[in-house]
Amino acid sequence: MIDVFGSTNSVKSELGKQRYIASNEISTIVFLAQKLGKPLLTEGPAGVGKTELAKAIAGATGRELIRLQCYEGLDESKALYEWEYSKQLLYTQLLRDKLNDTLGQAASLTEAADKLAKEEDVFFSNRFLLQRPLLKAILSEQASVLLIDEIDRADAEFEAFLLEVLSDFQVSVPELGTLAAKHRPFVVLTSNNTRELSEALKRRCLYLFIDYPTLQEELAVVRLKVPDLNPKLAQQAVEFVQRLRKGDMRKSPSISETLDWANALVALNASNLNKDVLEDTVSILLKHEADLQKAKRQYINPPPPPKPRPTDDFGRITNN
Amino acid sequence: MESRILQLIAALRAGGVRVSLAESAEAFTAVDLMGIQDREQFRLSLRATLIKDLKDLPVFDKLFPLFFGSGNPPAMMGGNPMDDMTPEEASQLADALRQFAQNLRQRMERLMNGEQLSRAELEALGRMVGLNQVDDLRYQNWMAQRMMRALAFPEVREALKELIEELQRMGMSRDRVEQMRNMIQQNMQGMREQIKQFAGERIAENMSERPRGERMDDLINRPFHALSDADKKVLQNEVKRLAAMLRTRIALRQKRAKSGGLDPKATIRTNLKYHGVPMEIKHKDRARKPKIVVICDISTSMRFCSELMLSFLFTLQGQVRKTHAFAFIDHLESISEDFSGSNADEAIASVLWRMPSGSYNTDLGWSLNDFQSEYMDTLNGQTTLIIVGDGRNNYYDPRIDIFSTMTRRAARTIWLNPEPPYLWHGDSDMRKYAPMCNNVLKVSNLRELAEAVDSLLAG
Repeated sequence: MIDVFGSTNSVKSELGKQRYIASNEISTIVFLAQKLGKPLLTEGPAGVGKTELAKAIAGATGRELIRLQCYEGLDESKALYEWEYSKQLLYTQLLRDKLNDTLGQAASLTEAADKLAKEEDVFFSNRFLLQRPLLKAILSEQASVLLIDEIDRADAEFEAFLLEVLSDFQVSVPELGTLAAKHRPFVVLTSNNTRELSEALKRRCLYLFIDYPTLQEELAVVRLKVPDLNPKLAQQAVEFVQRLRKGDMRKSPSISETLDWANALVALNASNLNKDVLEDTVSILLKHEADLQKAKRQYINPPPPPKPRPTDDFGRITNN
Repeated sequence: MESRILQLIAALRAGGVRVSLAESAEAFTAVDLMGIQDREQFRLSLRATLIKDLKDLPVFDKLFPLFFGSGNPPAMMGGNPMDDMTPEEASQLADALRQFAQNLRQRMERLMNGEQLSRAELEALGRMVGLNQVDDLRYQNWMAQRMMRALAFPEVREALKELIEELQRMGMSRDRVEQMRNMIQQNMQGMREQIKQFAGERIAENMSERPRGERMDDLINRPFHALSDADKKVLQNEVKRLAAMLRTRIALRQKRAKSGGLDPKATIRTNLKYHGVPMEIKHKDRARKPKIVVICDISTSMRFCSELMLSFLFTLQGQVRKTHAFAFIDHLESISEDFSGSNADEAIASVLWRMPSGSYNTDLGWSLNDFQSEYMDTLNGQTTLIIVGDGRNNYYDPRIDIFSTMTRRAARTIWLNPEPPYLWHGDSDMRKYAPMCNNVLKVSNLRELAEAVDSLLAG
């Protein structure tokens, strides 16, 4: 475990120790984000390991991972802080005697009110402040990794609010004053690109697009996470998944689905990717009926492909 | 190096990528940090700081190699087939060459020798085909083709084909001919690459020199009917930016809107746990997000205006509670489901593909009839009804009766019309429709359209 990454290679190897295989692109941009102290905005299709990346970074740097899952209707009180009313009320009830003692000695109503005012800090203190992820990341004693997951699901209003927090890492709680971050957290935002994020937010972040992995990368992930699958079968399986992704599917299989499938193949003790095995298990990869039918038609029982006959400048048919 | 990076940024901007000052400053910081020894890291540090959108990645990937070399060695020439010829073969070649005209022969020889074009030759070729006036990378292939044509490339290719046949006839060995053919082939490919690369670089440089801003302002204020197809493409990008800006503004306005009134029911319910002591006060929804029903005329005359309107509404989806969209030419169709995906462009393309404009007669009256029989229930006291159209009905029945029912059901009715009132005659039924609308806005250019969208979401 290391505190900060020293070079892009160390990003790569440290993330590798967390069982996350980072491409050159990912490790360079993560390194850059850390150096510049900028939030990292990762975009890409679902299930390519955007969230995993944040977890791996937290693991590699030994920092706490603070996660804020976004959803429609998420607001400040869920993301930042909330006063714990019921606890405050409970304390008032329990401390009633003490309050009576303190206030009972007061000669006049004004004096009682003054006394109460002196004590009001007790009720609006950190004790009753329910910290939500954003405030937690700001107040955390150690540097942390703040994962803001699926920001595209939150409303534009929330995005605008988030901007203010991300630009100076301080929030003001009216009763307590301004709280500034002791350590700037490493911020990772993920988006599935279901809607356009605002330009202002993008401007403040470094951008990393994570696409589906190449054959080699995906094979490496499968070998790492499902070591029991025999190498030949793993190769075949990954090739098949890659072929499916090239087809026009309503939802392409993600890496996590490839891993599920690989586990299923191990569990079924399959030795070969033959037609029966494929027909039985392809539903792990594809979740739409239309996709399933299409895959069965095109990839599992395919019609013989027509052979293209490329020609060169001289009109000859090249044989390759 | 710095000026080269600045040129790249200017070219990116010309290519439609929004790069802010802060981002370009950051690109420099990133490059300082990562150094420029490792080309890949250099590329990634520029990309991560400058490009923030998936759709802009291809622009960057295309421009970067044009400014910083492709990283591959320059296009390889196949070599010179005449290097190891026997004297007999050389004389055969000379004989075969003799039948071609002088200038053609020189070009063929150059190709066979695998000589690359010099910078000066490329410049001259570029000037010949007007490369210096082009500032759009989409023309790269076309310009390269024109340059090759200026080099008499097709003729040379034909001639080489003849030459090879001739050599075969003269009895040169089969392997030898085959070898020559391959080399020439490679040389031609090399030259093609060279020309294409040059054209790309030059266009990218032109892009970075193009003055920014003026053109866009001009386009925003130009009436829709005076726009060329190319202008429309440019404008569509602008719409996205405007819409994003509007969205942020509207979102903030909705957020900062004065709190709604006290919601007694919700307050009592929440405070039951505090023995009915009102610890938490509940308010009604802060801002009322409008519900929108939009009916767009997508006949040829109105199509672009409607298209822009739809992309606005699409981008603003989060700021309205519900949008029902309909399009009509001679009849009405619901197009809401086309907009359920994430990409406005695709959604609009699919709508336009389904309802191609032809020599249909625009008939709003009949379309209103369709609306009445199927979709009347989408209108209620919270709905804003928007009509985008010129109100020209080709003398069909305007069905004022249906329209008046609709306006009475909807909370308010806004009509967006590109024509100013003094043009409302002939087959225009605008004079009949207009009194029933709460508001008739003239939108004949993008600026007016953006203002109209802003005002109708102001609530």
